[in-house]
This record gives sequence, C-alpha cells and structure tokens, in this order.
Amino acid sequence: MSMLIDIKYAFRLLFKAPKFTAMTLGVLVGGLSISLYTFSFLYTMVYKPLPIPEAQTAKAITVKFDGNYNLITGYEFSSVKESVTSFSEFGVYDNRSIRLSVEASGKDISGSYVQSGFFEFSRTKPILGRTIQTQDTQVGAAPVALISYDVWQSELNGDENVLSKSLMLNGVITDVIGVMPAGYLFPNTSKVWLPLSDSVFNTAAQLSESYHAYGRLNLDTTIEQAELELGQAINQVYQQNVKLYNLPEFEKGAKLMSFQSAQTNGQGGIVFVFLNGISWLILLLACINVGNLLLARTIERQKETAIRAALGATTARLVSQLMWEGIIISSVGGVLSLLLVGAALDYTEIAFHSWVPGGGSFWWHWGMDLETLLMGIAFIFVTILLSAFLPAWRSARQDINATLRDGTRGAQSKKAGRISRILVTSQVFLVATLMLIGSVSAYISHKFINLEMGDNYTDVMSARMTIPESKYPEPEQQLALFQLLKERMEQHPNIVGVVANDWRPQLTVTLEGRDYPSEESKPKIDTITVIGETSTVGINLVAGRQFTHLDKLGNRKTAMISQSMAKRYWPGESPLEKSFQVKIDNKNEKVFVVGVVTDRLNPSTMFSRLDSADEVYLSGLQFISSFQIVYYRILPTTQNAEEIFYQAMFDTDRSIEMTYSVQLASKNRHMMRDSMGLMSNVTFGTGFFALLLAMVGIYGLTANSVAQRTHEVGIRRAVGASDKNITQMFLKQGARQLIIGLGLAVILFALISFGFHKFTEEIFPVYLYFVIATTVVIGLSVIVMLAIFAPTKRAVKMEPSMALRYE
Amino acid sequence: MTALITLKNISKTFLTEEIETRALNTINLTINKGEYLSLSGQSGCGKSTLLSLLGLLDAPSSGHYHLAGNDVSALTRDQRAKIRSEQIGFVFQSFNLISDLTVFENVMLPLTYQSGKSKKIIEAKVDEVLAKVEMGHRKNHYPSQLSGGQQQRVAVARALVNDPAIILADEPTGNLDSKNAEAVLQLFDHLHQDGATICMVTHDPSSAKRASRCLEMFDGQLIKDNHNKQDKATIKPAELAAS
Repeated sequence: MSMLIDIKYAFRLLFKAPKFTAMTLGVLVGGLSISLYTFSFLYTMVYKPLPIPEAQTAKAITVKFDGNYNLITGYEFSSVKESVTSFSEFGVYDNRSIRLSVEASGKDISGSYVQSGFFEFSRTKPILGRTIQTQDTQVGAAPVALISYDVWQSELNGDENVLSKSLMLNGVITDVIGVMPAGYLFPNTSKVWLPLSDSVFNTAAQLSESYHAYGRLNLDTTIEQAELELGQAINQVYQQNVKLYNLPEFEKGAKLMSFQSAQTNGQGGIVFVFLNGISWLILLLACINVGNLLLARTIERQKETAIRAALGATTARLVSQLMWEGIIISSVGGVLSLLLVGAALDYTEIAFHSWVPGGGSFWWHWGMDLETLLMGIAFIFVTILLSAFLPAWRSARQDINATLRDGTRGAQSKKAGRISRILVTSQVFLVATLMLIGSVSAYISHKFINLEMGDNYTDVMSARMTIPESKYPEPEQQLALFQLLKERMEQHPNIVGVVANDWRPQLTVTLEGRDYPSEESKPKIDTITVIGETSTVGINLVAGRQFTHLDKLGNRKTAMISQSMAKRYWPGESPLEKSFQVKIDNKNEKVFVVGVVTDRLNPSTMFSRLDSADEVYLSGLQFISSFQIVYYRILPTTQNAEEIFYQAMFDTDRSIEMTYSVQLASKNRHMMRDSMGLMSNVTFGTGFFALLLAMVGIYGLTANSVAQRTHEVGIRRAVGASDKNITQMFLKQGARQLIIGLGLAVILFALISFGFHKFTEEIFPVYLYFVIATTVVIGLSVIVMLAIFAPTKRAVKMEPSMALRYE
Repeated sequence: MTALITLKNISKTFLTEEIETRALNTINLTINKGEYLSLSGQSGCGKSTLLSLLGLLDAPSSGHYHLAGNDVSALTRDQRAKIRSEQIGFVFQSFNLISDLTVFENVMLPLTYQSGKSKKIIEAKVDEVLAKVEMGHRKNHYPSQLSGGQQQRVAVARALVNDPAIILADEPTGNLDSKNAEAVLQLFDHLHQDGATICMVTHDPSSAKRASRCLEMFDGQLIKDNHNKQDKATIKPAELAAS
C-alpha cells in the first residue's frame, strides 16, 4: 500500500514538472540508445554466433608471423595436414570474386574455392544436389559449382531442374551440382562455391598461394594444445625454407579464433571494447547528470525527508520513497531507448546490406535480438542504480537534526561542493575534447573530400589481378601473358588507353654524386612500375618521353620521375639522362631518367600536398611483377565496361585463376570519402550529444548548487550584495571550472595537434588549429556560461527576504 | 531630534497561489536618529515583514518610506542593495553567517560590496569591529567552530562594520541561552549609548524593556508605541496613524 502511495506521489511530481521530466528523459534515452546501439552493432559484427549448427566448435586458423595474423600457404597446409593430430576436421578455402557472365554482360559474385569436407564442416546440407567431393578437386576434373539460394532464385529463377543447368563462371562453363539453403553464405559472403584444385598444394614453397584455414578440435584437445602442435609444425616447415629462399628470419605460430574474430584479423575485440568504452562513458555521463538533476530535486525536499525520518521512517523506506521518481524515469527512458534502438537496428540492417558490397558477412543481421534486450535491461538497472538509488541513498542519509534546524543550509557540505565542481570541470573537459577533435575531424573530412589527387579517374576502370606464379613461374612468362591481355583490351573500340601499375613500397634511392652518412639517410620514394602510358590515368608528361617497348629487359634501365622530384634533386637543371640507383629486392639498380611527369598524391602522404612527396616510375617491362592494377580508360558511353576486361582475360587464358575485381577506379575513393563523411558525422554527432549532455549536466549541477546556496544568497543580499555581485559570484565560480576544463582540453588538443601536424606533413596551416581551438573555446564558454547563468538569474530574482526564509 | 526613518501608509501584501495575505496594513512610523526601538507582537503579526521593509530586503506594496530624507520606497533592487551595504546592518536570530567563510571574511562581506575602499582600510575596520565584540582572537575560525553566542557576536560585528545608520535585529537572542543573550543585549546597550540607532524585534518583554521605545504590533498594524525613558505613554492606533 505504502509503495503504491510512493509511486503515485512520484508520478505526481513528474507530471508537475513536465520540462524537467522531458529533459531527464531525453538525456537518458540519448545515453542509453547510444550505448545499446553501439553494443548491438559491434556484438553482431564481432561476437554473434555463426548461424550454423555446432558453430561454437568451428574455428578459424591463422598463422602468427612477425606479430600479425596471416593466412596459411598451400605448401604449409599440405606439409602439416597429415602430421597434425589435434583436429578432427582441418581444411582450407580461398575467397574470390567470381565472374558470372551472361551473354555480353555479367556480374561479380562473392565466392569461395573449397575442398571436400567444407560443407560437412559447416554442418549444412544442400537443399538440392550434392556438395563438393574429392573427385571434384582433382586436376582435370569437370568444372562444377554449388550456388546459394539467392543465386538460384535470381539467376535461374528458382528452376527446379537447376542440377542440369550450367553457368558461365570465370569464363568457364560450369555445371551446377547443388543449391545451399537460404541464408547460407559460409564462410562469409559466398554465394558460389567452386572446387579448390588439388594442384595448388603441389607448388614449391616460394610460389605457394595463401589460404584461409579452418578446423574443429578433437574432443580431448584444448585450443592451446592445438595451437602449440600446429604452430610448431608450420614453423618447422617455414624454418626449412628460410635459408633456401632467403626468407625473413621470424618464428611462425598458430592461432585459433572464431570466424568473426578472424575476419577482423583478431582486432575485433579491441575495437569492441574501445568503442563500447566510449559509449559507456557517455551513458555514465548521462546517468551522472540525471542523477544530479534528481539529487537537486531530493535536496529541495530534504526537509520533507528529514520530517519523515523524524517521524520514524527507516533509511530503506526513505530510499525506496525517493527512488521511485528515478525508477520511473529510468524505466520509461529504457523502454523508449529499446524501441529507438530496435528501429535504428532495423534501419541499419537495410542500409548496411545495400551499402556494403556483398551485403557483409552472413551472420551480420541487426535487430532487437536477445543479447541486445538483455544488455538493454542491464543498462536500465545500472541507470537506476546511478540515477535513482545513489541520489536517494545520499539524500536519505542526511543529518536530520541539521536539516530540521537549519533547513538546507547544513546540507551543502564542502565535499558535495567539491564533487559538483569536479563534475562540471570533467564535463567541460570531455565536451571540449570531443568538440576540438570533432572539428579537426570535420575539417579533415572536408579536405579529404575535396582532395586534389593529381590524377584523373573519370571514365577509368580498374582491375586488380595476380598472375599465378605456380603456372607462370618465370617473369618473362608473366609479362608475355599480361602483354597479350593488354593488346586484346586495346583492340576493343571503346578503349581509349590501358596502363598497368604495381605500387611498390617506398624504395631507397641513391642519387649520384651525393654523400649519405648511412643507408637510413637515403631518401625513400614511392615507386610504381608502369606498362603503358601514365597519361591514361591523368599523369601527364612534362618533359622527356613516356616508356616505350624499347624500355625492356636487356636494355638500359629507365625511369620517369615526378616534377617534385625533379625540382628537389635537380633544381634549375634538366633531370633528363641523369641517373640514380633504386634498391629493389635488396639490389641497387641504376636507372636513367627519360621523362618527367606531373605530381600525384601517393598513399604514403595522403593528406599532404601533391609535391610534398616524390614518385619514381619504373618500366614494367624491366621490373616485372605478377601483381598488376590494370587501369583502362573507356569512352563515356560504354556499356558493360567491366566485361571488356573479363572477355579479354578469358580469351587470353581461360584455365588460369586470377584475382580480379573490376570496378570504376574512383569507386574505392568514393567509398573512402563516404566513410570519412560518415566518420566525421558520427564524431560530430557524438560531440553534439555530449555537448547537450554537458549543458544539461552543468545546468543541473549549477541549479543544484545555486538552490543550496539560496540562503547564502539571501545573507549576501541582506548585507548589500547587488544582483550583479551575486551573478558575478556564481559566474566566477563557473569560470574557474570552465578555465580548468578548457585548459586541460586545449593542452590535450595541442599535443594531439602537434602529432597530427607532423603526421600530415604540416599540410594544414598552424593557424587552423588556433582558429579551431579559439572557436571551440569561445563557443563552449558562451554555452557553459549560459548554462550557469540561467539558474543564477532565477536565484537572483528572489527577494532577499524570501531567500533568507528559503529552505 | 532628527528623523532617520519615516514610514507613511506602508502596506505589504503577499500573493501566494491566488490567496492574498496583507502582512502590513497602513503603517505610519518615524524613527529618530539614536533611538533604540523594540518591536514585539504575536507570531505572524508582521514584525519580520516590517523589519524586512525597514532593511530594504523587500519593497512595500504601497506607501512611502523615507530613509535619511530620501524616498527609498520605489528604488531598484540594486539601489536598495547599495543602501543596505552602506547604511543598514542586520542581525538575525539564526546568525546567518556563511559557513564556508571565516569570521573575518563574514564580517568583511558588506564592505566588499562597497566600492572605493582599500584592502587596508577594510581590514582595519574589520579588526576594529571584531575587537569591539571581543571576537578578534577568533577571526580565522569558521562559524561551525564557534558557540551560538560567539556566532551572534560575529553577526553583530558584521552589522557594525559598515557604520550603518540603523541596526536591524530580528530576535537576536532567540537562539541563545540567557547568558549569551544578556551579553548580546549588553552589546546593543553599549552601541545605543555610543549613538547607534537600533530596531530590534523581540518576543521577550525584558529584552524589549531595555529599548528606549517599545512598539507592539497586531495583525499587521502598530498598536502600541511606548517611550520607556519618557512618560511611557500609550498611543492608540488611530492616534499613531494620525502622527
């Protein structure tokens, strides 16, 4: 009965103060929603169980090498698979983009090359047909494929005679042998599964490709035992080849992890903890602020509480009575945030699957699942504890005598005042930091979106391809294959030009006639091999000539350099016919400059000016690589532009497997720009919400502090303080906290900016950081001072005689 | 004698939740310089409201209030605050010292709201008044470290520090034991002998009798005005209003 009265009383108080109720609800819903959404989004990506039977025991296997998690090579797998006894199932697969050709057009589909046993490992049977068996992977076997339910429906219209159909996959007519159930895209986004030929395991160690590995442990084997056994076996194989092939001298090991974790290269957990940590901080901030607002209200009713206590109410009874207001707000806020997060997750499900190529991993399904619901309930309990219980507990444990004797005058202990000041300072610091970093982030995004790249990707397609060294081990073979492909492409009437690049890491350059105290002091320059003309992608010739068919093996080695390099090392003179050495594969190669081309922004200096870093172009006919990015410019009206590449490639050699992904060359750049924009919006949105939280919090804390000092205000007014004196007193106090909070944030910002300034090679002028810092400091100061001024003004309005009687 | 305060037809009405309460009803009163007044009456009769008006803590709803010849009934809040800091000293029943300030800082408070006074002058004045109330040795203590009597002596010092034209005391002995109450009243006696104008609200008849003039209120009106050191004549309300 008494509880019902308390609940009714709490509802009455909340309805009596609708602005307060709306404000606290808004803060809580915001804080809870951000935390819950972050948790659910990341949990789905990193920890959600795979939707296959016995998912918990299915492990992805990675190879630890030089601190990274790598794939296993075919050579390593074939060498250890028989000797390793820890696994009941052990296999490899390879994810590739597979070209499905339909007459003159086609589409890229995510696919996997798998061994027999792969589908059995996933404990899933096809709904039609059979899985890939040993005979399908043998050399010379008929080409077969399993397709996903989606491909069956979209490409074959759900034809029940699908098992008698064929598809043109990677230019090869392939029989469909099975259809997997709806939603099955194991191991990640695969919609087509092809046999992984046994031939890939018969190549020499140095030519062997890398593959994803999976396994399931024997019942009596622990993960640690399996890692140890497999790691030692792989390391033994590797060490045998270190000297033979001059490989880096590192130890190899094995690491077993979930498929979800493997997808993030083992980093998913760190991201999960870090981002959740930030969102929980925001929730904590929201709880503290709501708690303080509720505490201010309980303090206003402190005399009432003291009277209840004096009349015999126990602490538990008082806490219970005072908590109801907070419990109602937290519960209503919790329910609202669950609804909001549910809607946001549904939207994410739709947006993400349409935005991410392939729709993302097959277990990525966002929605209000059990885990999110349970976490939401846990958050609500934490919110009740922080926002309702603690203020009620603190208020209920007051000194009854002091309160009854002096009203609220005894309630404002120095400790409470100090906590309040620390909270205000912390909030100012947090918000200022978020706003400062958010501003820089927004500026970077703006800069990035409008970045001058130095190239021209309009109407340019790009294709990434690797010629398998197992089939074409000699560089000359690789080059011949590639030149054949290039010639075929150039024959197409819609092709304007073709160029192939291999972006090398920064290579050490030794300039003639210069002294270098050490190898480290030599310049490191981005190096790109070129087959064709760089003008295809807008890198135009300024002086000299482009590479020709004469810049080939056996002839004098030649290079083109960027304008910036020409100006930097040969100022005031022509660099043509000058020579320098470039270190490739531990060998210094002397090259002669035959041309100078325009500058471009290269990956090592993403945020810098075009001329802040140099580029060296080497002839791809002299420095041959099995990996190439093929750029081809097309006529603007060209239809099915990607098919030009595929047809040329299939005509060149149908039997080889190549990694290729054909798309507009600017697509990745646009995706990066979109990502930057999204990141910037998220940072700014979070900063804005934190600002809102801080404003509410600071307002609440100040209102609380002012309310508790109303009597003091009355005394000061009685002895002659004017409105201005009182206002100044509170503003000065607020200004002190503002200065400390802002000062700390600015110091942190200065340190971050200093590092960032160096990282971006001083592309952003120093005054920019000052402008951002000044704008944020002034803007935030005004907002915070307004948040302090509002409750102060209200207190000042009270007549001194009333303030003196205030309890 | 020179009139320090003149109230003409002063009324004060409070409006709370649509209920109008008339706390003071057509008060007419003159207080001369150097007078020591006591103001008594039942609870709720309007004593504290009258004291608040005299101290410019509140403004009258109607009527005129002249302080030292100036009409102060329609001043702005800041103008009233200035007068309070320069011409009025308050002593409250519950001392009303600020707990986070030391004795010295509490006493100094009214002077900090005046402009043009150097730190040296302020400190000298504070020391002087603290010595007067015999609290100089506790000037660095906080109010919570003092007894009730000591706190009230500090409050008196604070009321004196700005050399006020009038000291307004609202039941200054109400929270004190008899010994401390006597000490405070003696302090007032000395101040009165030194020429201070004092107006003291009190319930205690013996305290009231120490004043040179005793006013009594009832239901928002002055009903008695006795001059103790003269004929102790009783003036009827109607006569009082006419004066």
